[in-house]
Amino acid sequence: MKRGNDFIVGLVVIGSVVAIVLFSLWLSQASLGSKEKDVVARFTDVGNAKVGNSVVIRGVQAGRIQSIELETTGWVLVKMSLDQDIKLPSNPVVVLSESSMFGEWQATIMERSAAPDDADVQQQLAQSAAVGRGNAIPGARLPDIAQLTAVAGRIAGDMSRVADRFQVAFDDRAAAELRQSIRNFADLSAELERTVRSQSQSLSQLGADVHKTVGTINATAVAVQRTADRVDSSTSKGQIHQIMDNVGQASEDIKVTSHDLRDASHSLMATQQQLSSVLTHADSVLGKIDRGQGSLGMMVNDPTLYQNGDALLSQMRELVAEIRAHPRQYLSVKIF
Amino acid sequence: MAQIMNVIEATGRWVRFRIEEAGRAGRFIEEAARATVSLRSWFPNATLQMRRLGVDSLPIGLLIAVFTGIVLALLASYSFTGAVPLYFVGTLVEKTITLELAPVLTGLALAGRVGANIAAELGTMRVTEQVDALETLAYDPDAYLVVPRVFAGTLMFPLIVGVAMIVGLGAGWLASIGFLQLSTDEFLKGARMFYTAFDVEYGLVKAASFGFAVTLIGCYKGLRARGGAEGVGNAATAAVVYSAVMILVLDAFWAMTWLHGRS
Repeated sequence: MKRGNDFIVGLVVIGSVVAIVLFSLWLSQASLGSKEKDVVARFTDVGNAKVGNSVVIRGVQAGRIQSIELETTGWVLVKMSLDQDIKLPSNPVVVLSESSMFGEWQATIMERSAAPDDADVQQQLAQSAAVGRGNAIPGARLPDIAQLTAVAGRIAGDMSRVADRFQVAFDDRAAAELRQSIRNFADLSAELERTVRSQSQSLSQLGADVHKTVGTINATAVAVQRTADRVDSSTSKGQIHQIMDNVGQASEDIKVTSHDLRDASHSLMATQQQLSSVLTHADSVLGKIDRGQGSLGMMVNDPTLYQNGDALLSQMRELVAEIRAHPRQYLSVKIF
Repeated sequence: MAQIMNVIEATGRWVRFRIEEAGRAGRFIEEAARATVSLRSWFPNATLQMRRLGVDSLPIGLLIAVFTGIVLALLASYSFTGAVPLYFVGTLVEKTITLELAPVLTGLALAGRVGANIAAELGTMRVTEQVDALETLAYDPDAYLVVPRVFAGTLMFPLIVGVAMIVGLGAGWLASIGFLQLSTDEFLKGARMFYTAFDVEYGLVKAASFGFAVTLIGCYKGLRARGGAEGVGNAATAAVVYSAVMILVLDAFWAMTWLHGRS
């Protein structure tokens, strides 16, 4: 009986202890036998973060907060245990934040550049990084819901006070003035609309012109670019130097040609003078001819010579015809 | 004037009685503590008491845990509907079972079963002069009767409560799946969300203190029994009442000294 009691009690005790230990480990998601590495982060304030809260990398749970210790220097060191295989970002920081609206917090390990663009968070990270002791990662915490709610409550209180003051200030006279202001504002608005419409048309025209000008400038720019390309290509093979040499040579040739032209011009002037003299003489001769002076004048002005010549030609034609008709009378050809 | 004098006299007598009772209880505890040195006297009986007080009490403890887990899950669902995500049912069941209900409800049940059992047994031994016989035979009643029971109660209560925690959480999980259409993953997410090893540690330490108090009160009331069967009945009743009160007092004590202010 006693041995039976001992066995049953021993069985229950061992079974209960094992069950309770396994139950606790299972609930805490402890990883028995798996290798883990510790990462330490430094914070000015950890908010409501607790031991056992999740550690998250890119939204995936990578470990848990193992301990939270307050240093004598005022910094709070948070030790996190991560799976051995997890690779941290190259420049890591840790941001503590609420993971839900019910007070649960988590630590998120992220790249320094991916940290929230909040002045307070950036300041916390900079202060933590500036300490630079040990291997602690810089850390910061986001404000929790309670703080945000407190700020919202303060804003609501301010708005309530403003509303109260507005209610006090808004009497009948203020209402009448407000109505007048609204009327004036309507007039002003109509005037503004007309002005805007007018300016809009001008702006449209101006815009079209500007567009056209821009097109021209673009074309010019393209041409300039093309020219520049050509200049660039020419410059690259030394053609400019050759062109300049050719231009120099051409200049020399032009210089010589110019000299020749100047000489030719002088000769031409002399020729012109001679021609003028010749023409004067020719004019004098023609005048004499026209006046019937001299042989040529008489020949030109006296029709007798023409008439005699014409009669001579008629006689000559008759003679030729006679000769053709009676050649033996005028020609006698003997051979031997 | 005479009536006033009577009232004052009665008050003084009541105070003196309470002080004497406290003194006797203190002396009883001191003698029991001294008797623990006599290991040969009490240790052979410890296994038997662990079987009777602990192992045999497992069914009632687990039964309470099953129904507590079911009720907690449904109660949490009723309270959270429309306001809080339902996976917090797991959180509430885990926290409530491990921190409070498993230790206290099991303790109260065992106060009735174990406390009454010890008081009745030792009271019967007292009124039938078996305790006197032990003393006559040079056995130390404290070492022979009290220490094994207190040791067994202090050791076995946490084990029963620990198993009750597991069973209670399992019952809550099954109730969530069966009645609340909550998936296992959601329930576990809630249960693990705020779980720390402290929850179980706190519950087990409380259970140990309850076991110590219940068995000690049972032994004290039993050995103080007088006047036959009626005295034994009174001793059993007093043991249960004092044990239940002491469990609630200790529960508040641990909450104020250990739980309060812990972040």
